Amino acid sequence: MTSLGGSSSSSTEYTVRVPKNNSKKYSIMAFNSGDKVNCSTWTQARMERDMSNRRMYGGEETEEGAAGSEFGKKQREEARRKKFGIVTREFKVEDQPWILKINGKAGKRFKGQKKGGVTENASYYIFTQCPDGAFEAFPVNGWYNFVPQAKHRTLTAEEAEEEWGRRNKVVNHFSIMLQRRLREQERGPDDEDEEGEKGGKKKKKKKGARGGDLRIHDLEDDLELSSDESDSSREEGDNKPKKKESVAKGKGKKKKKKRGSDSEANEDSDDGDYEGLEVDYMSDESSSEEEAGEEKAKSNKEDGPKGIDEASDTEDESEEEKQNEEEGKEEEEEEEGKKTPVQMEKKKKRDSSGESDTSEDSDIDGEAASALFMKKRTPPKRGGGRGSGGSSRTGSRPGTPSIDSASTSNTLRAAASKLEQGKRQVLGGSSDSPAAKRLKMEPGSTATTTQSPAPSGKSTPQPPSGKSTPSSSDVQLTEEAVRRYLIRKPMTTKDLLKKFQTKRTGLSSEQTVNVLAQILKRLNPERKNVNDKMHFYLTE
Amino acid sequence: MSEKGEVDLTGAKQNTGVWLVKVPKYLSQQWAKASGRGEVGKLRIGKNQGKAEVSFTLNEDLTMIDSLGDKPSGVRAPRDHPFTMQTVGGQTLAVFTETQSEPSKDKIALEGVVVQRAECRPAASDNYMKLKRLQIEELSKPLRLSQQLEKAVTTNYKPVANHYNNLEYERKKKEEGKRARADKQQVLDMLFSAFEKHQYYNIKDLVDITKQPVSYLKEILRDIGIYNIKGTHKNTWELKPEYRHYQGEEEAKEADD
Repeated sequence: MTSLGGSSSSSTEYTVRVPKNNSKKYSIMAFNSGDKVNCSTWTQARMERDMSNRRMYGGEETEEGAAGSEFGKKQREEARRKKFGIVTREFKVEDQPWILKINGKAGKRFKGQKKGGVTENASYYIFTQCPDGAFEAFPVNGWYNFVPQAKHRTLTAEEAEEEWGRRNKVVNHFSIMLQRRLREQERGPDDEDEEGEKGGKKKKKKKGARGGDLRIHDLEDDLELSSDESDSSREEGDNKPKKKESVAKGKGKKKKKKRGSDSEANEDSDDGDYEGLEVDYMSDESSSEEEAGEEKAKSNKEDGPKGIDEASDTEDESEEEKQNEEEGKEEEEEEEGKKTPVQMEKKKKRDSSGESDTSEDSDIDGEAASALFMKKRTPPKRGGGRGSGGSSRTGSRPGTPSIDSASTSNTLRAAASKLEQGKRQVLGGSSDSPAAKRLKMEPGSTATTTQSPAPSGKSTPQPPSGKSTPSSSDVQLTEEAVRRYLIRKPMTTKDLLKKFQTKRTGLSSEQTVNVLAQILKRLNPERKNVNDKMHFYLTE
Repeated sequence: MSEKGEVDLTGAKQNTGVWLVKVPKYLSQQWAKASGRGEVGKLRIGKNQGKAEVSFTLNEDLTMIDSLGDKPSGVRAPRDHPFTMQTVGGQTLAVFTETQSEPSKDKIALEGVVVQRAECRPAASDNYMKLKRLQIEELSKPLRLSQQLEKAVTTNYKPVANHYNNLEYERKKKEEGKRARADKQQVLDMLFSAFEKHQYYNIKDLVDITKQPVSYLKEILRDIGIYNIKGTHKNTWELKPEYRHYQGEEEAKEADD
């Protein structure tokens, strides 16, 4: 080593050697900066090649021996492949990724993939300083990028796509993995552990010291995976309805997985905890309940009928749901702004199907009126009053449900007026004859409490002679109305008809005509000919 | 072997620092030509006003560049190569080695951690420009070359009465002769032993194996075997169920003959 002195620089010279015979092959192990890997902390490490790709490259042919094999099959297969131009890449051991395990089974795992193109245009050398001061340069054979392998459970591709489709609706992402886990628990054997596990311990990250059965074994890619996937996809079909509606303030809980090894055996690729869940509560009990309640709320938020279907699916499922239901119910009372789940809860219990989600609906059982409500959500202005109306409905209401009359009652208008009519009758006592074939053609007319029963035989009910209080926005084809119009100004029949539009009165055009004719007969208005048209008018 | 896969962590524990240097291709080629102990040049590390200056000087005897082809190129590799020092950044780069001292006994050892990255750049000089030019010329040559021939190639296919291959073929055929029908029992033995090796056979293959005329063979086969028309093993013969007793099959039937 010679040291040369310079004016403001001092330099030392070292010899560089490139050793010739090297049995050692140098490679680079590159870690990401974010992983914060410190090699000096490693106590023990094992590294081996990841041979899981071998079967892709010709290891597929099973040597069955005599049975099932053909004479010369291999050659024929090769010839076929050549003919079609299929070139299978060779399985080179040196190109396979590395699997690095730090600190034994419980430590970290890394997968190192070879980076291509490193040695193409420039060579990398490792300069080490020898004890004698000289540098030795070794060429780098390969560059491997090592990435940490996740031990927690991840979603498969199908599940991930499904969740992606729901990303706008789902607010609580922490529950996604929980749901998935529950799904699998239903599928797999129901261990007591799993149930008890629900009162989970929370942690941010999975602890290293877990049973070794929670590892994702890349090296043992086997059939379990495929069966598991098919399971999950099947299960998803069942559980798709389980929507995960928003639950207040991300109550994500992380559960420590303590599965029995039995259940592990079923799905060995689905291990791990949730990722990065935060801990809100530190008490076990409440967390479990709330969590169960959450998910119950979520599943309850689904349509009522669905919930029942699911409950009857498998006994396991129903049992779990029931159990959760109980828990969930308590929880739901507590939670604020949870009215809808509560109602769903109630509804569920009542076994009413197809109800909409207003609290009023809960009062009405499956009568024809319920069908009414199906058509329109909120009956106009009939908020609380209907409670009473509904209960004391029995006889005072016209016996035949309104729905039977196919003629006109299908309009919302008719429905509204019917309700009102029902109410009116309750209030006003029963004066109408239920026996009459009171088709609800004239809801307005029948809304009156002092109606004279229409002649039963007629299909078109007679307009009441009494005064009727018209319902709010309806135009009833009554004598009074006609009289008013005719007093005001002379009108032709056409005009009159226009006034009583079928939409607003709820009558068909024919009936309107008939009724109008009768009214006119009764009123006997004066006639006048204006512009060649016959006008009616009245003078008061 | 439990030894396999175990990583020797001595280098990591000592935190041996190494340099990762990117070296141009021509330089590594020259280094490969080094003789003796492998000395290739000198590395000069200086501190010039606080900044480290590293430069590598190639040995004189290694500057001869062999170009492709027979003639010496006359181009010499530049000798001076300053190093550009870079930091490793956030990345952790470790160096590990695989030793294959004995067959199938890979020893993996962690040599150290990269503390400094550097790029070896040639100092711009005439020599280097010439070298680069040479390289570009070589690379720009197309891989395939079309060449015009002066005379047509007449060595391949001459018209003959009968080609050599055909003659060979006919001779072989004659010598082999027609296939003679052997004893039925013998043929059966041959067949059974063949079917012991494989389950499905093509008729042609069987003819090859037994050296019997096709019709005779077919008769025998009709006795003991079945012909698969459909399925995965198309148009193949296999033994009748009562004659076969493969390992994989449940029933073990004796071959009754």
